[in-house]
Amino acid sequence: MKKATVIIGIFITFLITYFLQANFFSWFTIAGIKPNLFVILTLFVTLYSGIKIGISYSIFFGIFLDIVIGKSLGIYITMLLIVAILGGYFDKNFSKDSRITIMLMVVASTLVFEIGSYVLSIIMLNTNVEILNFIKILFIEIIYNTIITIIIYPISQIVGYKIEDIFKGQKILTKYF
Amino acid sequence: MYNKKKKGIIGIIITIIILIFIVIISNIKINNLSYVQNIFGFFVMPVQNGLTYLKNWISGNNDFFTDINNIQEENKKLKEENSSLQQSLREFEIVKSENETLKEYVNLKDKYTNYTTIPAYVINKDISNYSNVIVINVGTNDGIQVNMPVISEKGLVGHIISVTPTNAKVQTIIDTASSISCTLTSSRDMIVARGTLEEGATLKATYIPTGATLVQSDTIETSGLGGIYPKGILIGSIKKVINTQNITDRYALIETAVNFNKLETVLVITK
Repeated sequence: MKKATVIIGIFITFLITYFLQANFFSWFTIAGIKPNLFVILTLFVTLYSGIKIGISYSIFFGIFLDIVIGKSLGIYITMLLIVAILGGYFDKNFSKDSRITIMLMVVASTLVFEIGSYVLSIIMLNTNVEILNFIKILFIEIIYNTIITIIIYPISQIVGYKIEDIFKGQKILTKYF
Repeated sequence: MYNKKKKGIIGIIITIIILIFIVIISNIKINNLSYVQNIFGFFVMPVQNGLTYLKNWISGNNDFFTDINNIQEENKKLKEENSSLQQSLREFEIVKSENETLKEYVNLKDKYTNYTTIPAYVINKDISNYSNVIVINVGTNDGIQVNMPVISEKGLVGHIISVTPTNAKVQTIIDTASSISCTLTSSRDMIVARGTLEEGATLKATYIPTGATLVQSDTIETSGLGGIYPKGILIGSIKKVINTQNITDRYALIETAVNFNKLETVLVITK
């Protein structure tokens, strides 16, 4: 019952995130650059509910985004899946108690997601290659995602550990950075 | 423990304030900073006036402040007049905006009488920083098909890349995967306009013929080649020409006629 509630809760969070990204963050930008909330959400879901749930959600989020707004099916699914796998690796090797560690995880995930998406869109959609502009946008996006992580960190800690208790239960082991 | 929690909350509030500050500062245009100019002016201008007076006095031209009372009165009158004009201007802006929206609805179709068109609203915009796709509220139920061109009152918007019964995805011309064959309106030289990651609605004009003369603010329109866009639809105008050592590599930046940030209504050309 608790698990079902959490799963529904994550779906609702995803929808809220989508509407925030599509509406609020389309004008609340840093120099015209939007953050990427889906990377943060996928990473947090994987960190606190485990890699299996993380991968399942990343596939669902990816299909949804590819169908609703993507130019071709596959880019969002692939890259969110990679973020979920990366989240699983982080969960296994690093502690979630440090704000700095979480921020670095978000930086790494954003970096991997955006570089991967850009390379895939060059291959699949024949997108024009503009390295300098891409780096500039990526840099601002990483800063924006990091700021958002700082803001939501306390809530993610409270909610995240409750979710971790439900999904992982006795399996939680103390990890050190 | 309580202090730690309190510090944490204060930290988050400070971070949010910093974020809002960064967002406002990074998006503000320099000509919108008149109020900051006023604040700086408040501190700087009295000193500047004093120095001007001193300079004029030294050069024997000190009649600048002789009629200060009259100037003050005149200034007061002008301020009142300015305030009333600003009020009228605000009212005018509201009427103008309403008029523009109504015009967009009514006259959009009249402008492109040669084509059979279907009007649509933009219902969703891209969430990514690296692509520019919009979703419109018409689909196969309204006769929309893939590759149909989409225009607005100002010019070319893009083309349909996928369609469902109730909505359709439009790849805009500023999308990085977009490439359009177009012509310079004045010289009829053919060029290729590609979407870029540049800030604002900017296209990159490439494959410019070596003999072509590019002039700033020259208009660009579709050439009709490629099978998607009909001939003669306005794309934009040349903003800047970038010359390179090798003339074949030179390129130009095109400012699109359509403002994609304020795009609300479009027309899909069905025939």
